[in-house]
Amino acid sequence: MWKFIVRRIIIMFPQLVLLSMIVFILAQLMPGDVTSSLAMDPNVSPEQQEQIREDLGLNEPWHTQYLNWVGSVVQGDFGHSFTHSVPVSDLIWHRMVNSIWLGVAALIFVYMLALPLGLISGRWNDTIADRLITGYTYIGFAAPLFIFALVMLFIFGFQLGWFPTGGSVDPGLTGWDFFTSKVYHLLLPALSLALIGTVTTVQYLRSEVIETKQKEFISTARAKGVPEPKVYTNHIFRNSLLPIAAVFGYEVTTLIGGSIFVEQIFSYPGMGQLFLESIQVRDFPVVTAIVMLFGVAAILGALLSDIIMSIVDPRIRIK
Amino acid sequence: MKKFVRQTAVTAGVVSMLTLAACGDEATETEESDDSGEDTAEETEDDDDEEDDGDDDDEEGTEVDEDEEVDVDDVDEDEVVSLDDFDQVREADESEVLEDGSLTAAIVSDSPFEGTLNWNFYHGTHDAQILSWFDEALLSWGDDFVYNQEGAATYEVSDDNLTYTFEIHEDVNWHDGEPVTAEDWEFAYEVIADPEYTGVRFGEDIMNVEGVMEYHEGEADEISGIEVIDDKTLEITFIEANPSIVTGGIWSYPLAKHIFEDMPVDEIESSSEVREEPIGFGPYVVEDIVPGESIQMSRNEDYWRGTPALEEATLQVVGPNVVANSLESGDVDYVESFPADQVVDTMDAENLEFLGVTDRAYTYIGFKLGEWDAEAGENVMNEDAKMADPALRQAMGKALDDEAVGENFYDGLRWDGTTLIPPSHPEFHNDEIEGHGYDPEEANALLDEAGYEDVTGDGFREDPDGDELVITFASMEGGDTAEPIAQYYMQAWEEVGLNVELLDGRLHEFNAFYDMVEEDDEDIDIYQGAWTVGIDVDPDSLYGRTSPANYSRYVSEENDELIERGLSDEAFDVEYREEVYNEWQEYMVEQTPVYPTVYRADIDAMNERVVNTAIGDGTGVYRYEIGVTEEEPVTN
Repeated sequence: MWKFIVRRIIIMFPQLVLLSMIVFILAQLMPGDVTSSLAMDPNVSPEQQEQIREDLGLNEPWHTQYLNWVGSVVQGDFGHSFTHSVPVSDLIWHRMVNSIWLGVAALIFVYMLALPLGLISGRWNDTIADRLITGYTYIGFAAPLFIFALVMLFIFGFQLGWFPTGGSVDPGLTGWDFFTSKVYHLLLPALSLALIGTVTTVQYLRSEVIETKQKEFISTARAKGVPEPKVYTNHIFRNSLLPIAAVFGYEVTTLIGGSIFVEQIFSYPGMGQLFLESIQVRDFPVVTAIVMLFGVAAILGALLSDIIMSIVDPRIRIK
Repeated sequence: MKKFVRQTAVTAGVVSMLTLAACGDEATETEESDDSGEDTAEETEDDDDEEDDGDDDDEEGTEVDEDEEVDVDDVDEDEVVSLDDFDQVREADESEVLEDGSLTAAIVSDSPFEGTLNWNFYHGTHDAQILSWFDEALLSWGDDFVYNQEGAATYEVSDDNLTYTFEIHEDVNWHDGEPVTAEDWEFAYEVIADPEYTGVRFGEDIMNVEGVMEYHEGEADEISGIEVIDDKTLEITFIEANPSIVTGGIWSYPLAKHIFEDMPVDEIESSSEVREEPIGFGPYVVEDIVPGESIQMSRNEDYWRGTPALEEATLQVVGPNVVANSLESGDVDYVESFPADQVVDTMDAENLEFLGVTDRAYTYIGFKLGEWDAEAGENVMNEDAKMADPALRQAMGKALDDEAVGENFYDGLRWDGTTLIPPSHPEFHNDEIEGHGYDPEEANALLDEAGYEDVTGDGFREDPDGDELVITFASMEGGDTAEPIAQYYMQAWEEVGLNVELLDGRLHEFNAFYDMVEEDDEDIDIYQGAWTVGIDVDPDSLYGRTSPANYSRYVSEENDELIERGLSDEAFDVEYREEVYNEWQEYMVEQTPVYPTVYRADIDAMNERVVNTAIGDGTGVYRYEIGVTEEEPVTN
């Protein structure tokens, strides 16, 4: 097991190096740089722009820039965001915390919805309840998140006024009030994410339950006289969770990655928004740092999934 | 191995996301580029907000992303408004204004504000919007954009127009109670001129102060041209006298020396005194900041103009797609630079009021006439350029019905542009010049006369040598109207027999577009751009011989001379200056190196309980006066 993890982490490094080089080359290919947005400012002359470009080292060839960057990253310095005038790590940290809040809330909703719905529709498949649930999952598959989130915002935010319509917290609060305000702001975006995001899991769970209940060991259990509820909780449920556990690791990636659409619609300052914004204004240190972070998260997520799999499914461990 | 493949796939996925963004792939980036469009539009529009508090944007123009917020589906002939329908000021009797009112103002943006909350360091325009609530310039100006004596400091000029003496008002104090002194003002100049300075304000205006360059290069310990006479009196001596100094050429944002003095200059901008607990001397005091999202402010009882009308004000970021709803539902009370495309749809709401003013901006068609010679540092015309004949350029202008474009695509909030000094500068804009108007017959006649005739009979004119004439047109993507407007222009030109094609057959992303235009890409014959103009009308930075931003690359001796005369000693006489710029506007219509298509309106929207506010310059209404007449926002 440990060998396996260590090996995976070692493989990670060349992948990250490759990733960072590709990001750097692509950044060079993008038209414009961070000073392009300064051309907007009537106070900044082209000479000043050029000076800033020089100061930021943007006139160097990409490999020089790359080596400089690697040099400082090794020392834990991801550079300075020109747009936000703060160290990149501070900026990302602040936004990541928001994204994690949102991600965790969404994840809780996803499983709160998916487990009962999937189990019900699997256990009583082809009943009316099942049809309703699968009907919902089809709608969920078909509805684009950005439309759905807008509709949610319009109905519950504006028409009914139950939820705040933007931001992550009200200003001027501390302690418990701060926390509740934060949660209150999270509810609607997280629900929007979850109601759409849960349908895959519901479908997975449903088909797994249906498949498992026809397996021979279930018939055996029944033949031994195990009571029906127990057959479901002890035998079918556990086995049906396998594929869901398998994707759980990847969910971690989405946690820190944030959701571009939902963050945009609810004006929620998270990672997705930061990523998009940084690309638009060509704030390369931020873009590179975020891509690297996403890369690391994706690789670690895959690793986590494998570890979870080996825990819930002993067969894998033995192999 | 399989796992490795899978991880690589994940990696590749992330990378391909970036690739798509990098290539500006239209399919995936449409929405994103719309956003950037709106951001940029706000950015330029926000310059107006800065003005209220005396920002010093002067000479230079601003590239405007052709934002095009208008939804083509909204186009409805019946729903055309005009700027004349909007007031510039909304006033109410003092007795109606609540003494303990509070208000929520929106910062319209897709992304969080940057949070560099100090005039000496900010560069984001949303930051400027926030700054205008709690800090201000020492000098203010009237509707002619010339500094007046209404601000926190008054000034006197020496006879040679080189030395300015400023007197800061006795009651002007920082939020922490310390007085705003002449030393704070000097300190601002010193920090900006410091070689370690990280902001973007070290420009020609600052360099025009005597001794600044020596200080910048470390040859002097202080700026010789700035002298602190006493606590509240400062004297600044300039190197070169010109009329632009009093229209934004003085940096009048002091920097609190008692706070920042001991801080290394390159650390000020990320310090908590700038980002978390910013200080100013404006009407409101910052109480709490949620980074990137919102700011809570309370009344500054010690404000020098008088007691601010509101007890509390909150600013919060609101996305452009929900701002209209937020206003109607009363979630926000006050929106500066309301998205123009939503004005007509939102105007029906009974609880809202709108104010409007001509924006300091115009959209234009530019004709590439030469290139930038970087070594010589000047623009060089190419006599053989495809667009070199002024008659061809004039004809192309006459072929376009700009008024109809404004009505159909912008609900009347943009209208026919005539000269290169927009009516936002009423003193200098010459409304007697009609520009080229819409006259296809005249356009045809001009082209015939200039020898552009259809020799081959294919419906398109050939050039005077009888060779095929295909004009390549570069335009920016963004919003729903960019494409139809570009198509309309090409059709209109086709109707006068000119074969105009889009560069690469498509619109280009903002950054890519300006990259090509700046580099004088050979394939571009004409392009559509936009400028926000500074408060000073001097056109040198946009149309001067040595300006890299003179994208058409048009130069002529007469143009040089007119620009020079506009800054000469005689030009201190406003009438003389007006005359010079009238001449210049006429000359530019005649030569048409660029053809202004539309002017635009800037609109503020607010709940009807919000009173005593104004849009634009020199209205005599100040930020501290804004108040509310009801406890709660009025809703329908």
